[in-house]
Amino acid sequence: MRRTREGLNRLLLAALLGVALLLPIAVRTDQYTLVLLTTILLYGVLATAWNVIGGLAGQLDLAAGAYLGLGAFTAGTLLIRLNVSPWLGMVLGGLVAVGFAVLIGYPLFRFGVKEVWYALSSAALVEVLRVTFLIWSQVGGPVERYLPYHEWSFYHLRFATYMPFYYIMLGLLALALLVNHWIRHSKLGYYLMALGENEEAAEVLGVNTQKCKLQALAIYAFLVGVTGSIYACMYGFIHPNFFSGPMSIEVAILGIVGGMGITYGPVMAAILLVSVREFLRANLGGQLEGLYLVVYATVLILIALFRPQGLGPMLRQAYDRLLSRLVKE
Amino acid sequence: MTDTLLQNLINGALTGCIYALIALGLSLIFGVMNVVNFAHGDFVMLSMYLTFWIGLWAGADAVFTPLLTFPALFLIGVLAYYALIDRTLRQKYVTQIAVTVGLMTFLRALTQLVWKAQPRALPYSIIQGNIQVGPYTILASRLVSAVVSVLAIAGVYLFLSRTWAGRAIRAASDDLDAASLLGVPYRQTYALAFGLGSALTAIAGGLLMTFQQVDPTMGVRFGLLSWCVLAMAGLGSIPGLLISGIIVGAAEAVGMSLWDPRARSLIVYLLFILVLWLRPRGLFGRK
Repeated sequence: MRRTREGLNRLLLAALLGVALLLPIAVRTDQYTLVLLTTILLYGVLATAWNVIGGLAGQLDLAAGAYLGLGAFTAGTLLIRLNVSPWLGMVLGGLVAVGFAVLIGYPLFRFGVKEVWYALSSAALVEVLRVTFLIWSQVGGPVERYLPYHEWSFYHLRFATYMPFYYIMLGLLALALLVNHWIRHSKLGYYLMALGENEEAAEVLGVNTQKCKLQALAIYAFLVGVTGSIYACMYGFIHPNFFSGPMSIEVAILGIVGGMGITYGPVMAAILLVSVREFLRANLGGQLEGLYLVVYATVLILIALFRPQGLGPMLRQAYDRLLSRLVKE
Repeated sequence: MTDTLLQNLINGALTGCIYALIALGLSLIFGVMNVVNFAHGDFVMLSMYLTFWIGLWAGADAVFTPLLTFPALFLIGVLAYYALIDRTLRQKYVTQIAVTVGLMTFLRALTQLVWKAQPRALPYSIIQGNIQVGPYTILASRLVSAVVSVLAIAGVYLFLSRTWAGRAIRAASDDLDAASLLGVPYRQTYALAFGLGSALTAIAGGLLMTFQQVDPTMGVRFGLLSWCVLAMAGLGSIPGLLISGIIVGAAEAVGMSLWDPRARSLIVYLLFILVLWLRPRGLFGRK
């Protein structure tokens, strides 16, 4: 029985991977659907990365937009000014995001900024960066800066279709999931979960909470920074509005709705909520401005009120029930 | 140069009194029931739209609309408490945030739906004109707003210290269990605090509409702004809130004139982050 259960698990994973790999080929000429699928993956990556600092370490970070924007501006500016390939730029973008995260995170954790105050100061950070880049006219400024145009260039990460970006994002999602899985089963992961539950108790037991939180923040910032670099290439320009407060909050919400600390939760939340939002926008957006957001917000409130543990545990239960029925038969 | 600086300082300090009033509402909500309300700024935005609506529909001046919007916002606050907040009290704070972020998105989308996305403003208020004091010009609308804000803050102070309901709110904020044992019904007290906290934004919204316009994205600004004032003041000190509001307003105005008008929010947020690093309990905090 144990073997068949594992077999079914593997079968499901293979099936999901197959669907994910074949989906863009099925819709290949439909650019709208491709962008939609890539956007879902993008939010999936961001929310999965958020799971490290938010879900495992319990720090409600609302600064995803800050690291996303830093990654985008690093890779974008290097490409525009010095013709550096985004393949290198995305690594540098991730590193710049990490550097900034450590610079901000060190004093925050050192001075014991916690819970709601951590959340608010990280939300303020996004706005600080947005305005800074708006004023800093050498790099940012109020006008979009376009990346150099090429019909099809692997070096410049510029293609005539969105399909390559789908696969890049899918690869990034796999990386983010692997990192999550690895942390969860490492010493760092146990430390993070301990301090996420009760910080004082973890400290008494000898966990260096400052260091652990900083490490979690750095991993999260790196993944988001890399994603930001690809985000810039996909849209072909950079703009200070990439430092987006609403997007940062949405990433955290996906993480919470997915189930804090559950590796696959944020992806499932992203697939579900981002598709709901885009479906509503496509179908209601034209008639009544804002109606889709009213519905979306209501869905969000209902999930938060009636499923405070998130969707992850619920889906897992349903899956387990299905499995046990299949195995019995 | 010094004249411009002082002029901006005066303008900013007067606006800061309204910020203090908004932050007082938030302080009632956060200080009493420890609920992290992300939607507070959007209550301000909603008040401003209601002011616009009533002003247009009844031809009333923005100064008088709180007579109608104050009870309306109180009701909305009480309703929001019983429908949403009450269920999240025993949950982790992330769940509360998810719910209030949902409420925030809901309010913003709703105003966008009803009033469309373009900015709205009322015709000139009756408190126009300015007063000349030496080389400085004081706008009458700002002065009246500041005075009304300070009076409203004083009113809340009296309410909290002199009435039974006010004392019940303070008792619940200090020690809920002890207060419950002494016969303070916590649900009603919390609902009252949430309603009152929301209703205060009605006064602020009316005052703000006498000299500025409103659009649906404005809530975020007022939300973070009031958290900044609250962080600086710390919990439990009403005079501290007023001083912090004035500091934030003045810093905003001076930064805008000395540096860059677009740097408005930047200065407030930098101040906010700095306060959290150096004085996590605020300048006047009690607990």
